[in-house]
Amino acid sequence: MAPAFTLPSTTGAPVALADLLAAGSAVVMFVTDDCPTCELALRRLAAADAEVTVVCEAPAAAASRLAARTGFRGRMLSEPAPYETSRAYGIEAVPTTVAIAPGGDVTGTVVGWDAAALSGLAGVDLDGEAPARKPGCAAKSTYDAAQLAADAEAGDDPEAMFELGWTDGLPTVAPTPERVAAMLGGRDRAVALGPVPPGMGEATLERVAACAVLAGCRPQHFAVVEAAVRAMLVPGFNLHGQAVTTQPAGQIAVVNGPVRAAAGLNSRMGALGPGTRANATIGRALRLVVALTGEGMPGRLDRSTLGQAGKVGTCIAEDEERSPWPPLHVERGLAAGTSAVTLLAGDAPLSISEHRSRTPEELAAALGWGAATLWSPNWWPIGAATLFVICPEHADTLAAGGWSKADVRHAIWEAVQRPAGELRRGEFTDRVGEAADDDLVPKWDSPDDILLIVAGGEAGRFSAVFGPCVGMDWSPVTQEVRCDT
Amino acid sequence: MRYVSPYDPAARTPVAAAPRPESLAGRTVALLDISKNRGAEFLDRIERHLRERGAEVERYAKPLFSRPAAGELVERIAARAGLAVEGLAD
Repeated sequence: MAPAFTLPSTTGAPVALADLLAAGSAVVMFVTDDCPTCELALRRLAAADAEVTVVCEAPAAAASRLAARTGFRGRMLSEPAPYETSRAYGIEAVPTTVAIAPGGDVTGTVVGWDAAALSGLAGVDLDGEAPARKPGCAAKSTYDAAQLAADAEAGDDPEAMFELGWTDGLPTVAPTPERVAAMLGGRDRAVALGPVPPGMGEATLERVAACAVLAGCRPQHFAVVEAAVRAMLVPGFNLHGQAVTTQPAGQIAVVNGPVRAAAGLNSRMGALGPGTRANATIGRALRLVVALTGEGMPGRLDRSTLGQAGKVGTCIAEDEERSPWPPLHVERGLAAGTSAVTLLAGDAPLSISEHRSRTPEELAAALGWGAATLWSPNWWPIGAATLFVICPEHADTLAAGGWSKADVRHAIWEAVQRPAGELRRGEFTDRVGEAADDDLVPKWDSPDDILLIVAGGEAGRFSAVFGPCVGMDWSPVTQEVRCDT
Repeated sequence: MRYVSPYDPAARTPVAAAPRPESLAGRTVALLDISKNRGAEFLDRIERHLRERGAEVERYAKPLFSRPAAGELVERIAARAGLAVEGLAD
């Protein structure tokens, strides 16, 4: 007799074997979510519109992703560890397909992909397309049950997080209640920061803390994470557009003020990473809030064509102590001595080497022209805020003549202008299209679209610029970091 | 082991899609232009095909492609039309 089961469905209420047999005989296929042969089988079943119930050895989210990936629209049931149903059926390899008569007798079993045998079992024609046969993978139910239970109990198994889909592709830290409570540090877990686009899941502090734990943050990082999430959800930032776009842009956090030291952020050598836990995990926590709470998972609601490595997370601290100029948050209206995070939408950093310029004019022009092809080579003006990270040696050269940040911004803006006639190729703006051939068009509408911070190691004349997210009607948002809440 | 979920279950509840209509004849179809490059051309073509199949067509637009349609616009479309097509572009 086929063992009875009741399992959650990815599309609705739980389904019992008795429900399936009430309508006659049933065909049940056991699969896992990471087996190429199972994917092949599901694609072929979908193409033939076969009436087969699938039991996926994975949590519901992973089973849903498998269904979406393969186009399988039939009944998909989820069986998370420790896979008791698969064990009861003695499944050793997947896919394994079992035919069950209305009375509950098993009338046939097919292991692996076998088009002819499965056609007989499912009563549809699965033949025709190669391959006709393909062996499968080991079923997860063959894993040691005691070890699975022990791993789950310990709460420290990164594989459990992969099973749940609570990851950006790298191992994450399990958000146990104890770790989340420590992250919250006495804050009210129910405080709601707002719905997170694109899926509009509500960002309670508890969920933000869960993302911070997953990302690997320590509790001393959480004040920055919380402020950054608040900034990210300001409507003028238009996270919705950023989260679903085919562009590669992610969210970039720039941190200023005393919290940099308290959080252990690195603003010096290797400031753009990798290497420092605070920078790496705070940026990652933000991205997990978008990908998990906001459902903006790359490849699903996040439709980015290529993505980019900076979307794992980008958090930069400005080296205010080394900078000859006022820090970014003070330029943006906050008092010196406060802590703040400024959110921008942008791509991976582009490094600009310039070791020969000795005057501020030369250097500003070199940095600006280094950024001239951002977005697209003929897209002038770029129409979005652009962040330059100026290394200390470049900052010294730029400030040597007494130049302020405003002077640097203006010099970059003024240097990078081209006649419209030279830009009228491929993808160009309306402004270029409408201008006379000799009219000069700048790369930025105004110097105010250029943001400058200082960071990086003492040696080396390498600055960097982040290509902005374009066409999304977003503006940078600066939010005070409150360390006393 | 219990974990604290980063997800909001309220936002995860799937909303069932409306059944596909048997026929377009006599139905009102809303075409929403999201204001992206050349989207209107695409919708012009769709409108022609829909009218050939006997549908009534109403055109709508939202001001910026990268922001969701305002609730008021969605409600207006839902109240007046039985079907909707949202036009992408590029």
